[in-house]
Amino acid sequence: MNGDCGEEGQAPALELRRVSKRFPGVVALDDVSITIRPCEVVGLIGENGAGKSTLLKILSGVHQPDSGELLVHGEARRFTGPRDAARAGVGIVHQEQSLVASVSVAENLLLGAEGSAVRGGVYRWSELNARAQVQLSKIGSSIPPTARVDSLTFAQRQMVEVAKALSVEDHVRTPPVVVFDEPTSVLDAEDAEVLFAQIERLRTRASVVFVSHRLDEVLRVSDRVYVLKDGRCVAERSPSEVDVQELYRLMVGRESTGGYYREDEQGSVSGAEEMLGVTDLTRRSSFEDVSLAVRRGEVLGIAGVIGSGREDLCRALFGAEPVDSGEVRLAGRPVRFRSPADAVSAGIGYIPAERRFEGVAMGLSVGDNILLADSSPASAGPFMVPRRRRALVSEWIERLRIRTPGPGTDVATLSGGNQQKVALAKWLLSPRLRVLILDHPTRGLDVGAKEDVYRLVREMCERGLAIILLADTLEETIALSHQVVVMRDGRVAARFDALPGAKPTQVDLVEQMV
Amino acid sequence: MSSFFSVPALTRGRDRLRGRLVSAVPAAVLVVLVLAVASRQPSFVGAASMRALLEGAAPLLLLALGQMFVILIGGIDLSVAVLASLGTVLLATWLPSAGVLGVLATLGATTLAGALNGAVSAYAQVPSFVVTLGAMGLWSGVALTVSGASTISITEGYDTIFWLRDLRIGGVPASAAVAIGVILLAAVLMRTLSGGRALHAMGLAERAALMSGTRTQRVRVLAFALSGLCAGLAAVVLAASQFSGAPTLADSLLLPTIAAVVVGGTAITGGVGGPLRTLVGVLLVVVLRIGMSVMGVDPSYEQIVYGVVIIAAVALTVDRGLLRIVK
Repeated sequence: MNGDCGEEGQAPALELRRVSKRFPGVVALDDVSITIRPCEVVGLIGENGAGKSTLLKILSGVHQPDSGELLVHGEARRFTGPRDAARAGVGIVHQEQSLVASVSVAENLLLGAEGSAVRGGVYRWSELNARAQVQLSKIGSSIPPTARVDSLTFAQRQMVEVAKALSVEDHVRTPPVVVFDEPTSVLDAEDAEVLFAQIERLRTRASVVFVSHRLDEVLRVSDRVYVLKDGRCVAERSPSEVDVQELYRLMVGRESTGGYYREDEQGSVSGAEEMLGVTDLTRRSSFEDVSLAVRRGEVLGIAGVIGSGREDLCRALFGAEPVDSGEVRLAGRPVRFRSPADAVSAGIGYIPAERRFEGVAMGLSVGDNILLADSSPASAGPFMVPRRRRALVSEWIERLRIRTPGPGTDVATLSGGNQQKVALAKWLLSPRLRVLILDHPTRGLDVGAKEDVYRLVREMCERGLAIILLADTLEETIALSHQVVVMRDGRVAARFDALPGAKPTQVDLVEQMV
Repeated sequence: MSSFFSVPALTRGRDRLRGRLVSAVPAAVLVVLVLAVASRQPSFVGAASMRALLEGAAPLLLLALGQMFVILIGGIDLSVAVLASLGTVLLATWLPSAGVLGVLATLGATTLAGALNGAVSAYAQVPSFVVTLGAMGLWSGVALTVSGASTISITEGYDTIFWLRDLRIGGVPASAAVAIGVILLAAVLMRTLSGGRALHAMGLAERAALMSGTRTQRVRVLAFALSGLCAGLAAVVLAASQFSGAPTLADSLLLPTIAAVVVGGTAITGGVGGPLRTLVGVLLVVVLRIGMSVMGVDPSYEQIVYGVVIIAAVALTVDRGLLRIVK
């Protein structure tokens, strides 16, 4: 049994004392001190680039601090790597899941810690599964250890990750620390509830560090909240003494404006002509008989749970997936896209949910990324004109307020919000752009960067673009859209007008979604 | 620039510096190598020796350029040398009757063969390693069949290509001048064409390129077609210098092409590199070869050295910072 929780006078489970970490040219963490007491849930918030990732990497042994101390139960430690951190009782539930999809839950849980479950290089399945079952029971999960990971839902996989992270407690006599890195950013509301219940459960035997962009969640689950800003720890608050607005102000250093989604700037689209229309579009086993239309200057929100077919529909509209039947019209003309290239040359842009793999080309410079989709405004005939290229790239860096050291910087070094702006600039600079599909455009972005995206959405409408939006939350969907379509099991289940002042409620939509 | 002294500007300065260093290392090694050889044999830096060096390097320059296009998109072309061998056979067969047309037909044939590699890889989604390994066997067999497994001397149609061997352009053998000219042209086009970054984008992030509207399958076919074209050009240069075509004439050049591309600083994983780096890489490999003979190393050790050089160059240049998975 591990040490008891909540005893008075215990040393903190984990403590950072005056930790600094510099990367060439940038101070990622500057004199940061945080304390995580045994069996306490500590929230950690901050904008992208505030130093959260660096802090987590120090906690998990990926980075070592340049100065300052790291103490585990009062004892100064220096982690040599993630394994070392795990042996000291620090487990991480990663934002991007780190399970091996093609093997069983048990194999994943005990990966690297098989011990006597492997004899002579061969699994002893009964012992492996039994030991995995012990880990799963700890978190009260009913997932069978023999299930293949790729047969699980995203939320179930996350529970496996939690069990795996918690298994570090076997190495230590004291309560372990489980770190959640942005755990809810890809979960539905329902699955998020399950996760919160899990965190409640965990606190009886472990300390929890909860990192999230969603301030209301952090307030809900945490006993204490640390706010990071520009590499410094600027505040430590108890949820009873702050609200979301206050946290937001601490995090970004300015007041949150009431018009967060800029609903007052939502323009009227009555009488505007149809830009993109779809009739009875079907792709077997994805979506069926979908009809919808989006007009110039209009935002069409598509709501639906995972499996509703809305993601597939959007990819099909962009030519990234084939369709079996039905018609697509662009500005009144029937079109058929066999590849994204067809869609792009017809004036359709797409911001994919997988920003890091599809949204921007990692390794390519900011300038090259911006010109990846349409370089014609910077070209004369088949050749790029250096002067025009420079002017165009800096114009868009400025217009979208992309924070980058320069146009030649590798886009991979930018924060998520700035990468997303690069992806947006790539489409917005194209004079032929008519329709923009936004697939979770604010996923993983901090509050400030989200606001920038909302502002841009309004500007794009003003320019006369038609926008199809798959938003992260229902709140976002409702606030940004002129019209909301709810999809369920691949079909359109309901349609709502969402004019300013006469918006449907979240309950209205949820009723149709499930 | 107003923000030059701010923190981000420093980051950029460092990135640039590192970028320059990485691309400067092969050139620096080249200089050191030349000096080392020259110290053993001063006549090495003389005009006659340099001419011989460049003339000998011409086929490899062209083949390595072709290999570079394919490596840049994240693939590999194992058939490039065999294709050049086939090219010499076709040229020797066609030149007497067709003259210049024979040269064009040879270039067309190798380009088409390259494009075929690319098409199979792009549309049937077969890894380039497998496609070109198969193609290596295939074209080698075709070359042996067409030639009757023997060397075909070129006696007629002589004038069409032999200027490559005999003519000097500014003191440089014409074959080398053509090869270097092709490399420079490729470098300029890749820098100035609107779609010039497509090859790099493919190598770095193919899905992102696809989702930005790049016709990635066509780019793949293009890269392999360019490799085929380069193999054809190399065949013409080789046939001119050897007075003949032979079914295995260029086969031993496969390993040197890969060695030249990677020691020049093009990443084996794709996305980073270019023609100028390949030029430096080829010169490195050629000087290394000459250096070995000056030092009295048995020529049979050459392939051993190329093998070691490839592995060492990749080991030294792969970015291990990200703990990426290697296959």
